[in-house]
Amino acid sequence: MALLDTHKEDIERHLAKYPDKHSAVMPLLAMAQEEYGYVTQDAIGEIAGILDLDVTHIKGLIGFYTMLYDRPKGKYLLQICTDLPCALRGAEALSEHLCRKLGIQPGETTPDGLFTIENVKCVAACDCAPVMQVNGHYHENLDEEKLNKLLEDLRREAEVSEPAHYD
Amino acid sequence: MAKTVTIVVDDIEYEVPAGMNLVDVCKQYAGVDIPVFCYHPKLGHDGNCRMCLVELATPRKNPHTGEMELAWFPTLQTACTQKTSEGMTVRTKSQKVIDGRREILEFLLSSHPLDCPICDKGGECPLQELTLRHGPGTSRMYWEEKMHLGKHVPLGELIYLDQERCILCARCIRFQDNIADDPVLAFDQRGRHQQIITASSPGFNSIFSGDTTDICPVGALTSADFRFNARPWEMVQVATICSHCPVGCNMSFDTRTDREAGGRTTIKRIMPRQNERVNEIWICDKGRFAHHHMEHPERLTKPLIRRNGRLVEAGWEEALREVTAQLQHAGENVAAIAGGRLPNEDLFALQKLIRAQGSHHIDAYPPVRGGEFTASVGVGVGTNLADMGSGDAIVVIAGDLHEEAPLWWLRVKAAAERGAMLITIGGRETRLDKFATHSLRYDYTEEVATLNALLGCMKLTGLPRSVDGLKEAVKGARAFKPDKAIKDAAEALAGANNVIALVGHEGLDGQGSHNLAQAVANLLMATGHFGRPNNGLIVVWPTANGQGASDIGVRPDYRPGYQRIPVPGMGYTDILAALADNTLRALYVVGADPLFDDPAAEQALRSTLGTIIVQDMFLTATAEVADVVLPSQSAAEREGTYTSGERRVQRFYPAIEPCGQSQPDWLIIQTIGKRLGHGNPSPSAAAVLLEIAKTVPQYAGITYQTLAEVEPQIPDVGGEDLYYGGTAFRNRHGLGVQWPAAAESGGALSAHPVEAAESIEPEEDMLLVVPITLLYDAEPVFHKTSLLHGRVPGPDILMHPEDARYLDIADGDVVRLSIDGKDITVVVRFDEQAPEGAALLPRRMQVQGAPMAATFATLVRWDVEALER
Ligand code: SF4
Ligand code: SF4
Ligand code: FES
Ligand code: FES
Repeated sequence: MALLDTHKEDIERHLAKYPDKHSAVMPLLAMAQEEYGYVTQDAIGEIAGILDLDVTHIKGLIGFYTMLYDRPKGKYLLQICTDLPCALRGAEALSEHLCRKLGIQPGETTPDGLFTIENVKCVAACDCAPVMQVNGHYHENLDEEKLNKLLEDLRREAEVSEPAHYD
Repeated sequence: MAKTVTIVVDDIEYEVPAGMNLVDVCKQYAGVDIPVFCYHPKLGHDGNCRMCLVELATPRKNPHTGEMELAWFPTLQTACTQKTSEGMTVRTKSQKVIDGRREILEFLLSSHPLDCPICDKGGECPLQELTLRHGPGTSRMYWEEKMHLGKHVPLGELIYLDQERCILCARCIRFQDNIADDPVLAFDQRGRHQQIITASSPGFNSIFSGDTTDICPVGALTSADFRFNARPWEMVQVATICSHCPVGCNMSFDTRTDREAGGRTTIKRIMPRQNERVNEIWICDKGRFAHHHMEHPERLTKPLIRRNGRLVEAGWEEALREVTAQLQHAGENVAAIAGGRLPNEDLFALQKLIRAQGSHHIDAYPPVRGGEFTASVGVGVGTNLADMGSGDAIVVIAGDLHEEAPLWWLRVKAAAERGAMLITIGGRETRLDKFATHSLRYDYTEEVATLNALLGCMKLTGLPRSVDGLKEAVKGARAFKPDKAIKDAAEALAGANNVIALVGHEGLDGQGSHNLAQAVANLLMATGHFGRPNNGLIVVWPTANGQGASDIGVRPDYRPGYQRIPVPGMGYTDILAALADNTLRALYVVGADPLFDDPAAEQALRSTLGTIIVQDMFLTATAEVADVVLPSQSAAEREGTYTSGERRVQRFYPAIEPCGQSQPDWLIIQTIGKRLGHGNPSPSAAAVLLEIAKTVPQYAGITYQTLAEVEPQIPDVGGEDLYYGGTAFRNRHGLGVQWPAAAESGGALSAHPVEAAESIEPEEDMLLVVPITLLYDAEPVFHKTSLLHGRVPGPDILMHPEDARYLDIADGDVVRLSIDGKDITVVVRFDEQAPEGAALLPRRMQVQGAPMAATFATLVRWDVEALER
C-alpha cells in the first residue's frame, strides 16, 4: 500500500498549505512514520516522487532530524537525555543501567522488537533531570528503581495491548 | 553604468559597484584576498564555514546626536554574506581578524585527519594553504578524540569520499543542486556525525560529478581516475581542447613520466582550464574521464595491409606505396569521409588531396549541415551565454543539449534561471524543458514546418535591408498554420533583446539538417537577431569539429571558406551508393567509423570492389574491411586546432609521446599527396594553419600568436592565492579566436524559403524509429574508457506505452528490428516521456556484436515476434 492509496486527501491538504511543494516534506515524512512505524524505503521513493525531490535529500533530512527513522524501531522508544544538566544528575550511569538491563547499546533495538534506546540531547525538562521520554511522554527525576519499574510496566502493557504480537 | 559606492578596505577608499559581494570586491578592486572555504563565486554564498571573517562597519545615524557615524559590528562578520553599500568599511588585517581566522582553522582542523602526505589534494589544497597562511601551527586536540569516519567511501564508481577530510562546506551539494541540477548529494546526520551521502542509482548520478572534485576545498572528494595516482606538483599541465562535443571546453592534460609506463609520459588526469566564454571552470565527465583511449593497448601502432584476405602489419613505406598506387589508379574516382572530430589541419589536408585528385566527393561523418548559416548569421563575435538573461531569449531546436553538448546545457539552463526566455522546440521532452518558458512539440518530420509557422506568425516591423530574399522567405513561412503554443512563443520572441538559437539535427539527415538550419536562420534574419554579440545561430554539431569541417570544405558543395562549387560532388549518402554500384574506385576514411553505427553503410562498404583506405587510432569496424589501414595519432600526441560550435578556433598542444609508429593525420595525408605529385608536406601543423588562414577568408589572421592571447578572467580562479579554492586552471595558453560571421564583416546575406519535409506515414505494423544521441555511448574512442563503461546504456529502445500496446509489445520484451537491412536486437523500455508514434533508439548502444543504430529517422517494420519476454 502506498501513501497515495491510504492518505491521498491528507497529502493533498499538506501540499495545498505551501507555495512550494518541497516544503511539505516534513508532514509527509511524519505521515509515513506514523503509518509504518518508520520511513520505509518505499515511502522515501514515493515522497520523492510526489514532491519532485531527490531521494538523497530526503535521506539527508531523515538523518538530520533525530525523530525521523529510516529503519524499524522498537514499540517503545526510550530516549534518555544525556545532555549536561541530566548528566550532572547521573544520566550517563542511568543510560548504562538501561542498556545492561535490556542487553543492547544506545541506538539498538531489543530482539523482541519492544525497546529501542537512544541517548538524546536536552529535551527541555532540565528542572526534573534526569529525564527520559518514552514514545514522547516524559518520565522525570529518574533513578534505577523507577527505571526498572517503568520497564516492567511497559512490558505488561505490551502484552495486554498487542497480544497478537506474541502468538 | 551600474551604480557605484565608496567603500573603505584597510583604510583605503575604493569606488566599487553597489550590491556586489564583498569578497569579490576586495579581490577585484582592492587586491585583498579574503580567505574562504564555502564561498565560491560560481556558487554564491552560504556563510557556513566562517573562514572569511572581517571587521565590518556601516554608517548609521546616531540616535542621540542625529549625526552620521561609522557603526562597527561588535563581532567579526562573514565577508562572503555582505554586499557593498555606501560607506561600508572593512578591516581584513587587524589582530582581531587574524585571531578569528586562526580560531576558525583550529576548529576546522579539530577533527581533520591531517593526512596531507597521502592526500590527492596535498599541494593544491586550500585547507593546507590557508592553514599555513592563517592557521595555528599546532593543535590543542588529542588524536584520540578525533572523529574517525570512512576514508574510502565510494559515491558511485567515479567519485570517492573521504569523510574525515570533509569540512562540510556544502560546495559539492550546492553545485549539484544549483548548477548541475542533479541534486544527488546531501548532508546526512548532524554535528560531528555529519557527512555527505548520495542515494541515487547509479551512485552520484550526474554527468558533472567530476567538477565537485575541483571545487571541493579539501581532499574529501577525489576521482577514481586520479586518486593515489600522482602528486599535483609532479605534473606538467598541457593545454588542450576537449574533442568530444562542439562546445570545445578548454582543458589541461596533466602529465607525468611514469615508472609503470616504462618511463613514458602519461596523462594522469584532465582538468578544466578556465575560459569564461566557453566552459567557465567546468567540464563534463565525458571530457574529464574519457581519455584512456589515447593510451589504450589496442591502439594501432603500425600500418596494416590486406594480404590474402587478412590485414597484416606492414612498414610505412610499403603501406604508402600501396595507397599511392591505389589513389593514382582511382584518379578522380575517389571519395573521402572524414570524422567530424578531426582537427582543422587534418581536414584541410584531406580536402586538398581529394580536390587535387579532381574530386569533390568528400563529406564529414555524420553528415550534418548548417555551416553556411553559422558562417553568415552565426553568433556575433564576443558572444557569451553567460551574458544572456532577463529580456533575452534562447531557442533550442531538435536536440538534447544535456546529452549532446553538456556545457551548453549547463549555461543555457543558467541563462534561463537568470530570467532569459527559453524556447525549446523538439519532438520529445528533454531535460531543458523544465527550465523553458515555451516548449513546442512537433511530430518528427515537422521540424521545418514548426519553424516556418513560428516565423510566419511573428509580427515584423520592417525587415533588415541587408538580407536578400527575406520577403520571399517570410511570405513562404506565412503559408504555415501556427497553433496557439507557436503564436505564444512568437509573441514572446518578438519582445526579446537578444536571441541565440541552437539548432540540432535529431532525426534529420544531411538535407534535413540543412533545411532546418535555413529555417532557423530565416527566423533570426527576419527578426534582426544576427551580426552582433549574443545574437545569431549555433549549430549543435554531432562532433567536436563539425563547424571546422564545414568551414574547411569537408563537404561536397563548398570549397574551403564557403566558396560554392558549381557542380557539387557526392555527399555521404551518395558516396555509399556509388561504392555499392562500384562507380567509385577508392574511398579514404579518416577518423570516421560509419560501419560501426550506420546500418546503411553495411552493404556499400562490405561489397564494394573499390579500395578502402582507413586511417584511425583503432582497428575500427570500418578499418576491418579496409585494404590498407594507417595508424594515426590521438589529439594528445600532436598539435592542432578545433573550431567550436560558436566558431571559436582553439589550439591544443602535444602532451604525450606518439603511440608506436602512428603519425598525425595531416602529415600522412600530405605525404600521400606528395607521392601523388601534389606538392611537399608542410613542415609543421602551424604551417598548415597558416595555409588555412590564407585559404579560408574567415580564418584570415588566425595564427598561433592570436590563438594564444589571453585576457583576465573574472572570477579569477586557480590563482596562486587559492582565493577561490577551485583547482580549475588559469588559462595561460590562449582563449582562442572567434571568427566574424559574414553579417559582421559586411558579407552578403540571403534568406530562402524552405519547404517542409514530407511527412512519414507509417503503414500498419510499422513504427518510426528516431535515433537519439546519448553522452555516454559505445563509440570506440569513448568505449575504451573503462571508467565510464558502466554508464553506457544497454540496448534499449524507448517507447511510449501506447505505441507498444498498439504493437502488442510489453515492457522488457526483446525484439528484433531490421534497420536498412541490418538486424539489431533491442530491449523495449516503456517511457511515458517518449513521443507517441516514434520509438527512440539511442545511437551506438552496447549491443553485443553490433552497436548500431539508424543514423537518421527511419521507418522500421516492426517484427512483432518478441524473442524473449
Ligand atoms: S566533500 Fe568537499 S565540497 Fe563537499 S562538503 Fe565536504 S569539503 Fe565541502
Ligand atoms: S561539454 Fe563537450 S567539450 Fe565540454 S567536456 Fe563535455 S564533451 Fe567535452
Ligand atoms: S539536559 Fe536533560 S532535559 Fe535538559
Ligand atoms: S562563511 Fe564566508 S566563506 Fe564560508
